[in-house]
Amino acid sequence: MKRGWIGSALAQALVYTFAATGIAAAQTETGPVNGAIGLQPAATEVAQDIANFHDLLLWIITAVTLFVLALLLYVMLRFNKGANPTPKKFTHNLTVEVIWTVVPVLILVFISLFSFPLLFKQERIPQAELTIKAIGNTWRWDYSYPDQGVDITSLPLSEEDAKAQNRPFRMAVDEPMYVPAGVNVRMLVTSNDVIHAFSVPSFGIKEDAVPGRINETWFNVPKEGIYYGFCQELCGTLHGFMPIEVRVVSKAEFERWVQSKGGQLASAEPAPAAPAAPTAPAPDATPAPVAPATPG
Amino acid sequence: MASHGDVKHDYHLVNPSPWPVVGSLALFVMAIGAVVWMKGLGDSGLLAAKNPVIFFVGLAGVLVTMAGWWGDVIKEGQQGHHTPVVDIHLRYGMILFIASEVMFFVAWFWAYFEMAIFHEARSAWEIAGDPDVMKAWAHWPPPNVETFDPFHLPLINTLILLLSGTTVTWAHHALQQGDRKGAMWGLILTVALGCLFTYVQFAIEYPEAGFAFGNMGDTTTANLYGSTFFMATGFHGAHVIIGTIFLAVCLIRLLAGHFTPQKHFGFEAAAWYWHFVDVVWLFLFAFVYVTPKLAMEG
Amino acid sequence: MATNQTAHADEHAHGDHRPSPYNPLRWLFSTNHKDIGTMYLIFAIIAGVIGGAMSGLIRWELAEPGVQIFWGMADAGNLGTDKLFSVQMPDGSHKAIFGNEHGYNVMVTMHGLIMIFFMVMPAMIGGFGNWFVPLMIGAPDMAFPRMNNISFWLLPVAFALATISMLVPGGSMGQGFGGGWTLYAPLSTSQQLHGGPSMDLLILSLHIAGISSILGAINFIVTIFNMRAPGMTLHRMPLFVWSILVTVWLLLLSLPVLAGAITMLLTDRNFGTNFFNAAGGGDPVMYQHLFWFFGHPEVYILILPGFGIVSQIVSTFSKKPVFGYLGMAYAMVSIGVIGFIVWAHHMYTVGMGLELEAYFVAATMIIAVPTGIKIFSWIATMWGGSIDLKVPMLWAIGFIFLFTLGGVTGVVLANSGIDTVLHDTYYVVAHFHYVLSMGAVFAIFAGFYYWLPKMSGLKYSGLLGGLHFWIFFVGVNIIFFPQHFLGLQGMPRRYADYPDGFAYWNYVSSIGYAITAVGALVFFYMLLDMFVLRRRKLETAENASPWGEGATTLEWTLSSPPPFHQFNELPVVAEEKHH
Ligand code: HEA
Ligand code: HEA
Ligand code: CUA
Ligand SMILES: [Cu+2]
Repeated sequence: MKRGWIGSALAQALVYTFAATGIAAAQTETGPVNGAIGLQPAATEVAQDIANFHDLLLWIITAVTLFVLALLLYVMLRFNKGANPTPKKFTHNLTVEVIWTVVPVLILVFISLFSFPLLFKQERIPQAELTIKAIGNTWRWDYSYPDQGVDITSLPLSEEDAKAQNRPFRMAVDEPMYVPAGVNVRMLVTSNDVIHAFSVPSFGIKEDAVPGRINETWFNVPKEGIYYGFCQELCGTLHGFMPIEVRVVSKAEFERWVQSKGGQLASAEPAPAAPAAPTAPAPDATPAPVAPATPG
Repeated sequence: MASHGDVKHDYHLVNPSPWPVVGSLALFVMAIGAVVWMKGLGDSGLLAAKNPVIFFVGLAGVLVTMAGWWGDVIKEGQQGHHTPVVDIHLRYGMILFIASEVMFFVAWFWAYFEMAIFHEARSAWEIAGDPDVMKAWAHWPPPNVETFDPFHLPLINTLILLLSGTTVTWAHHALQQGDRKGAMWGLILTVALGCLFTYVQFAIEYPEAGFAFGNMGDTTTANLYGSTFFMATGFHGAHVIIGTIFLAVCLIRLLAGHFTPQKHFGFEAAAWYWHFVDVVWLFLFAFVYVTPKLAMEG
Repeated sequence: MATNQTAHADEHAHGDHRPSPYNPLRWLFSTNHKDIGTMYLIFAIIAGVIGGAMSGLIRWELAEPGVQIFWGMADAGNLGTDKLFSVQMPDGSHKAIFGNEHGYNVMVTMHGLIMIFFMVMPAMIGGFGNWFVPLMIGAPDMAFPRMNNISFWLLPVAFALATISMLVPGGSMGQGFGGGWTLYAPLSTSQQLHGGPSMDLLILSLHIAGISSILGAINFIVTIFNMRAPGMTLHRMPLFVWSILVTVWLLLLSLPVLAGAITMLLTDRNFGTNFFNAAGGGDPVMYQHLFWFFGHPEVYILILPGFGIVSQIVSTFSKKPVFGYLGMAYAMVSIGVIGFIVWAHHMYTVGMGLELEAYFVAATMIIAVPTGIKIFSWIATMWGGSIDLKVPMLWAIGFIFLFTLGGVTGVVLANSGIDTVLHDTYYVVAHFHYVLSMGAVFAIFAGFYYWLPKMSGLKYSGLLGGLHFWIFFVGVNIIFFPQHFLGLQGMPRRYADYPDGFAYWNYVSSIGYAITAVGALVFFYMLLDMFVLRRRKLETAENASPWGEGATTLEWTLSSPPPFHQFNELPVVAEEKHH
């Protein structure tokens, strides 16, 4: 049960690069890296914006904290009872009081200048070429591609399977969610039972799966690869065991995948997503998957 | 305060009292009993599901505590411990208690208004297996819910409560004037009106409802409308009952000669509570009874 | 606050009829604010040990990937004898003591609830509030001494219900309730997952804890408004009293809403109502609104008394009156008021829409301004002072620094755009432990070391106190600083197990826990040393005020411990010099 993992962050990062060799095409995998201290590498423009904004905030909050620390250290030394045996008795100084009220206000206004545009970008869903619905269940994710008529159930690989396939345990799944690269994807998120949350950190998305509601978010990943995410709202015993694996592939490969799942391509050009939330799979979809999802 | 002859302030240093710890224990028994009653904590005997015995034992303990505790308060008042400053404490205490009660009702109104105001958002929702449910919930009140006619029983109840508000004020003024007879009749009427309200609400109106609080076995009539309706009006009804008991105790105390024209805070507290219950009702009447009707017609 | 009071110190002169501590009725039937405060403090220490032990199990489980002590569902059938914390059943099979991952969730839930409702609140409001609000405003006791006692005794009752809740069936997942301290519906109302009596017991436990706090709140407000000694105007009250005043208002106005919300959970569970059931027209998200309408004010309830404690200590050990007294008081008032209109920053990912999110971002960030005023005013209080780095001052300065660190990560989270990646990750866990486990807890220890001689009349070892501080300071930082990294990498909260990519910093964090635990042992050795081994009484000269001239509030004019009934003759507070 003990694993010799205490090694180094570097070793882990290497595992990642090489783990991919177990899979058909050499692909990059994006997920948590042991020992890393920052955000996961951004896979979408939004995630990059988030990372930039975070960097900015990190500078600001570090400066504020160090400033407070510096002041504390200074007063502790300079006004120590040894250094300053007789205390002064002043209790007011209008100037500094105004400064320490106004300066934080300005800092916060400055933060807002970047915060709100980011928010708008995340929340305004652009025209999407592909709609995917993620449905949370205790404890697994179902994905449905209403326009293609594909419905899959995604279960985590067992420890043995993961080892056998050289895939990361607790992240890799048997039926990943496939997405074509460079396409605006609209994610609809809902749940069949309790609240879950669909999140892929490197995409910069997280949306609660609330029974009854359909939440929307979007992403566009230019680079092919494997991206990992998690259920991120406590949903019971196996909350920690409903990972998300997204395969971003070329359009051609995506189409091949759709067909292998018994779905059909809506048209040569993917149809623009309908404005109203499509609630049922296409009626004529024949659910005869070539390789049925095997619960593991 | 037996031996503190040299105390030079008017505050009331209360003697050690068994009630807090007894009352806490009783509440513990009652809570366990409630869970036993609802769910059961064992397979058989006292702890088996649906066995209300423990609950009622606990409830009895709570009632004994209340009687004993407030009995002590009355006694202390009679002994002169309720100096002017202590009297002010009691007043503030009562006002703050009512303030917390107001926030308690905020929760029910919150649930109610969320549905009333944001119901349209629900049209975009989806329920596994039943797309029609949400369509229904996109209307408010939902089309399959038959609401009460506000200008029938609810209006009568409104008038009953408003009238009781005036009778309690009459009692108060009579008391201040030293007119004990008038105060007595004012209080008797108030208590009677309170009982009447309870009777009309629980015995006549509720059984006629076309919707249920919850689906106790019956899923067809249960819905959020019923839940919010009965929760809000039901908790109000419970407060009417408490207020009526409070006023009835004041009536007894009046007859026992506890109140003087100058000092009768027990009565005033009951009257404040009564007015609070009254105001809550006006909100309920306006928003739970009248506006849905208007919304349906408009 | 400097108070130049003219009453003669009221020593044992008035015949101090202090009952024997060995008389159980003194405690059971108490109507004495100091005795009740003592009971609250002891209760808080016990709860802190239990909650701290639970966090130990959490950290143990998370020390490395794989399931350590909460045996996984997969393992349930075939537990080997080598597994930790398993018991042998009569039939020879092995059963996990703490249950499976659900057991982990139960542990996290109870850790959060115990630390908040049974450790921090009882310590700060019940313990220090009860002890020192009457003393500081020159009152003989609380306004309603008997009600004060039921506020206390309801807490063991609530705690007992919560404990029983862990031992009875929770639902299909096992014993206890494992839905997090936020009790989100529909996980908490699901017949299948949490259909057992466990959650009902927990709901009633919180109801009773809530009643306790509401009664306490009424008591404090009346006491502070009506029982101030002659000359003790609102604007001359010590800041600790101000902090309690604001806190109890928040309690009074927010707790009933929680009571309503959990009552709806109860009826949804047991009477088939549909408040949070989407199929019946209800809305699970409505529960979150109701909860956080209480929950956010609650986090300020947990910290404001700490602000008050730190103000007293910083002023005492700088030998200088508090800088910007009025600004300090009204900063707390405005934190309290704004605290009521920011609740949905806990819900940025529920899909509430752009406009609402934007509003809550702006409202939330504003709180940094009054909080900043407090931080800088503390530093300005020290500025020019003659600082004595005694044990309470160490904790207070530690508080200022670590609370700032936790506060600024709150500002990061306030930005919905970033919270999209950080919500429900360990970044949030790191944020709130910096403000709670370092903010609130450091303030509690600061207050404890500050007032312990006053409450007991005994001296403690400054060496042990200092050692306790430094071990704790190092330990908690090692626990929680790396959790920021985990959160940024995306590690979700409330995970009993995690992918290997999160292993390194989790291991570090667990080592930090071991260090902190050693610090806790030093604390208890300090108490043993103080009360049993050495029992050194304060010298007569320093009996009233061991901290010297810097300590100016009224409690330092009394003997240590203060007489059983103080201020039989009310003190008169004279004009302040510095206004
Ligand atoms: C003591 C308790 C406490 C306190 C005081 C705070 C203080 C703050 N909190 Fe925190 N918070 C919690 C306890 C607390 N919090 C808890 C328990 C949770 C998690 C609940 C759960 O989900 O289980 C949480 C979660 C939480 C979230 C939700 C995160 C998520 O789930 O996604 C957010 C988001 O806005 C937030 C924000 C803030 C902010 C802005 C403050 C501000 O009040 C901080 C203000 C302070 C400062 C900023 C530092 C000092 C100021 C200066 C030195 C001035 C200059 C500074 C600047 C200009 C930046 N908190
Ligand atoms: C005040 C609140 C408080 C405090 C002090 C702590 C203290 C600690 N907490 Fe906890 N924690 C929470 C509140 C708190 N926590 C909450 C609300 C949650 C969220 C729950 C949820 O998700 O539902 C949480 C969750 C949480 C998690 C996340 C679990 C998960 O999401 O899976 C972890 C993991 O490491 C953790 C660890 C710890 C550790 C190691 C400590 C250590 O610092 C512990 C060391 C011990 C002490 C610091 C206590 C010492 C105090 C005393 C002995 C009393 C003294 C009293 C007097 C002197 C009067 N806590
Ligand atoms: Cu699904 Cu957490
Ligand atoms: Cu908050």
